[in-house]
Parts: sequence; C-alpha cells; structure tokens
Amino acid sequence: MAYAVLTESLTRRYGSRRGIEDVNLAVTEGSLYGFLGPNGAGKTTTIRCLLGFLRATTGRASIFGLDCWRDSPTIKAEIGSIPGDLRLYPWLTGHSALKLFGRIRRRDIQAKGKLLADELELDLSVKVRQMSRGMRQKLGLILALAPEPKLIMLDEPSSGLDPLMQERFRQMLKRMAARGQTVFFSSHTLNEVEALCERVAIVRSGRIVADATLDDLRRQAKHEFEIVWADGAGERTAPPSFATLTAQSAARWVGSVEDGSLRPMLDFLAGKPVNDLRLARPDLETLFRRYYESDDEPGTAGPSPRDGANAASEVRS
Amino acid sequence: MRLINFGLLLRAWRETFGATLVFTIIIGSFGGLLSYALPRVQERFMSRGFIPPGLVQLRNTMMGVDSSASGVAEIAYTMAWSHPVIIVLLFAHGIIVTTRVPSGEIQSGTLDVLLGLPISRWELFVSETVAWLATASLVVGSMFAGSYIGSFWVKPESQPDWSVMAIVLANLALVYLLIGVCGLLTSVFSDRRGRAVLFVLIFAAGSVLVNYLELLWEPAKKISFLSVLHYYRPALILREAAWPWKDMAIIGGASLALWIIAGVKLARRDLATT
Repeated sequence: MAYAVLTESLTRRYGSRRGIEDVNLAVTEGSLYGFLGPNGAGKTTTIRCLLGFLRATTGRASIFGLDCWRDSPTIKAEIGSIPGDLRLYPWLTGHSALKLFGRIRRRDIQAKGKLLADELELDLSVKVRQMSRGMRQKLGLILALAPEPKLIMLDEPSSGLDPLMQERFRQMLKRMAARGQTVFFSSHTLNEVEALCERVAIVRSGRIVADATLDDLRRQAKHEFEIVWADGAGERTAPPSFATLTAQSAARWVGSVEDGSLRPMLDFLAGKPVNDLRLARPDLETLFRRYYESDDEPGTAGPSPRDGANAASEVRS
Repeated sequence: MRLINFGLLLRAWRETFGATLVFTIIIGSFGGLLSYALPRVQERFMSRGFIPPGLVQLRNTMMGVDSSASGVAEIAYTMAWSHPVIIVLLFAHGIIVTTRVPSGEIQSGTLDVLLGLPISRWELFVSETVAWLATASLVVGSMFAGSYIGSFWVKPESQPDWSVMAIVLANLALVYLLIGVCGLLTSVFSDRRGRAVLFVLIFAAGSVLVNYLELLWEPAKKISFLSVLHYYRPALILREAAWPWKDMAIIGGASLALWIIAGVKLARRDLATT
C-alpha cells in the first residue's frame, strides 16, 4: 500500500513544553484522512513537522517516501497547504496572489484558480486588506488547491466559511480525493471530519489516542446500558461478571458490556423487575467528547483502550 | 539546487518598493543639497582666511582626519558623504529591508504560507538578498546621483574627481552592506523583528558614536576597529585618490562571513509563526 504520509514515533518537544510524542500516522494515497483533536493537542505541530517547518526531536516523517525535513522543497511541490491561522500579504489581490504564487511555484495556476474562485464565489479583484475573514480563507484555499497537488494538507480550513460554503468545499475535496488526490484534514470539530473523512486519527495531549475508520471506531465502542430497577431491586441483585458498572444504586445501574455480551445481558435481565432499559453504543459525538475531555494520560482514560489507543494497531495490522 | 526564485524577488520588491522609493528620494535630494551648499560654504570660509578653531575641530571630527591642509572639494564632499543624516538614512533603509525575513514574516504570520510553498530556505535567503541588493543599489546610487547633480551649480575647481568619488561610493556601499547583513543575521536569529532591529541599531549607533569619539577621546581609539565607520574614510580616498583595499576587504569579508552564518542558521532553524 502506498502512503502519502507516514510518521514513525514522531516526537517534537519545545524545551520543557510539550509538543507531540511518539506520533505514528499512515495516510494512504487517495484517502480523506481526518486529524482530530482539541486546541493545543498537537495537530499544528504535527503538520509543521510534516511541512518541514520544524525539525523532529526524534522519530521520522515522510511524504511520498521522501524525508519531510531534508526533502522539504521537493515534497512541497506536491503539496497544497493552508495554515491554521492564515495570514496573507495585505497588498495582494486574488489575481495578483495567483500570479505571484504561480511564479514562486514555477507553474501557471491562474486558470485553475479562477475556476475555484467561481466555485467558491470569491471576487479575485479585491485586495486582501479589504477582504473579510471568510474571503481570505477562500483565497487561501484557492491558492492551496489551484496547483492540483497530490497531497492537500489543511489545518482548520473551514474556519470563517459559512455552512453553505463549508459544504461546497467538502464536495470539492471529495471530488479531488476521487481523482486520486490525498486530503489530510485537521480540525477540532467532529462534525466536519465525520462529514468528509473515511479515516480519522485523534490526537490529545500530543499523542495519538485513536487511528481508525469512523465505522471501526463506532464498532469498537462498548455497548453502554442504563437499567432502572423496580422496587429497589438493584440493591438485591449481584452484577454479572461480563458487565462493568460505573454507577450503582438500588434504583439504577449504569455501565458497559463488551461486544458479544448483549445476549447474556438480556438473559440476565429476563424475569427481573426492570422498569426501564437503555442499551446502545455511544454515538460518535459522545465517544469523541470522552477522548477530548479526559485529563489523564492518553490510553488510560476516556473510551477504553480497546476503543481508542489500540485501535490504531488493530486497524493497521 | 535553484537559488533564485523570480516570484520571491517580485514579492520582496513589492514589499520594499515604497520604503526604497522614499529613501531614494530623500537621500538623493539631501545628498544633492549638501553637494550644492557645502562647497559654497567652504569657499566663503576660505575666502575669509579665518575659521574658528571650534569649527575646525567639528569639521575634523566629521571628516575623521586633520583637514587643515584640505581643499574645498575634499572638505565639502567628505562632509556630504559622511554626513550623519546620510549615514543614518542609509543604515535605516538597510535595517528596514533586511529584518523582514524571517523575523518580520514570523511576526506578521505570513511565514507559514510562504514556507508552505516549494522553496528551499537557501532559495528564500538568496532571493531576499538579491532583492535587497537591488534596492540597495538604488538607495546608495541615489547619493551618488544626487551629489553629482548638486555639483552642477558648483565651480569646476570646487568639484571632486568623479572617478575618485566612485571609489568613495564603493566604500560606502560596503559599509551599508555590512549593516544590512547584520540585519539579516539578527533577523535570522530572532522571532521578533523589533528585537532584530534593536540589535542592529545598537551596533550601528555604537559605530557612529565610536567613530566620532575616537577623535575626541583617546580611550575610544582602542575599540574603534569595532566600528564599521572605522573602515570608511572618504577624506583619505579623496586626498590620495586610491582604493582603500584593506578597509574594503575587512568589511567585505565580514559581510560575507556573517551572510554565510545567517544563511546556514536559516537553513537549519525551526521556522513557524508563534
């Protein structure tokens, strides 16, 4: 399998400050890959290492088989990127930006840029200093996508775009992926990653805590249950060995069961005085919130290790 | 490996065009004015046959040599070409242009977009340097042009030999070059443009101060070799009509060494907006 992006134990420290630690990513060519994490988790640091802005403290990173630090200029000829906090020269207009960036890239990107501008409804004659945030973001996207790069690396690209434009932008990216271009999409918002990406890596506190397809992540989540007992029966009943309880009282049990334990759970409850029962996998939103919210070291909290940290190795193997 | 990128040159020129135009006009005009007025003032002093000792001392300080035996052209054009306003304006232009990359770009946040393009750090550095040198030739050249035009209204016997003035120009250009390279160096080592500017300003102001102090205060002579202006003596060039090879080699060599250090540092350092 050909990888567009491959990192092995990529670590970047800023003195005593945490950067990223032991990041392993494998992004296959032509895929739509989501890179999800809360603010300050290490997404931008990872992208900066991949783009050759920062040198890895240890580990290695490669794009299309080339070293991200040593071969950075060669690699970037195949990359279209947009930084998280986009700043463009205020004296540029859309037209002059396409000309200038084309000259720096040594290729003409004006025709393609104009098509993209039409699609994103951006007036290219306006100066950057007169543009709204959304307009600047559109111009940044156009400049990244116009060279038709093999790898599109986007750091929080939708910020500033209205929902309609976000949807149009997602459709553009899907079309590009269908043509074989790889999309590496960094975001802190689950919804946009869910709407676009096939596979997602979750980064928290500088470490990858999950790397799997969205379907796998859903599947690997434990079933959760909530039982409301009648007549305080919860106090008299012994919990079954296959269930893990997180809250237990005479009236109510809350917990989870491993896959394959649904039938035993239903058998266990048969004939018992149950007033109400909820038994389901958590939705993605809940799952991701747990990854985000836990303050403990990754892999030791939030969704169980099986849900998250180990999913990467499982899925990759 | 490609070292010059035309797009990067255009970008740098667009960014520095306004400042360069302003400096070119001011330096050219002021240089012209000095070259027009100073020979007349000097002629008047000499026709009177007496110059107050304090004024002679001030003149010697500005010229960096004993000027008692000097002629009108030597005194007037030395003072014009080493006038503090001209020196300060040239230094200011060099510092403004050379501290833009990378510290200015880091501070303005535009570096992430720039480095996301397929360019090497050396390509960026060399292109920036070439763009700067092109603007430098305009600014330094404007002093020569202004001075030449200003001298049209000066008596022929009070005009300098312009082939010798070209040597002064070359020497001044090297002084400007060293200050600019110091700007590149401090910019490469810093993430804050203000900090980079401050360090070069300290060096430049120190150079000017030591250059004047050494004629008035004996201990300053011991450290005068550290001043970039120590290697710029237009009076001696005009008097001897010879190339100051040693001075030019020292500032040229220092510029080259510092430029290489700056380039290597830029190629190796982490770069990203904060």
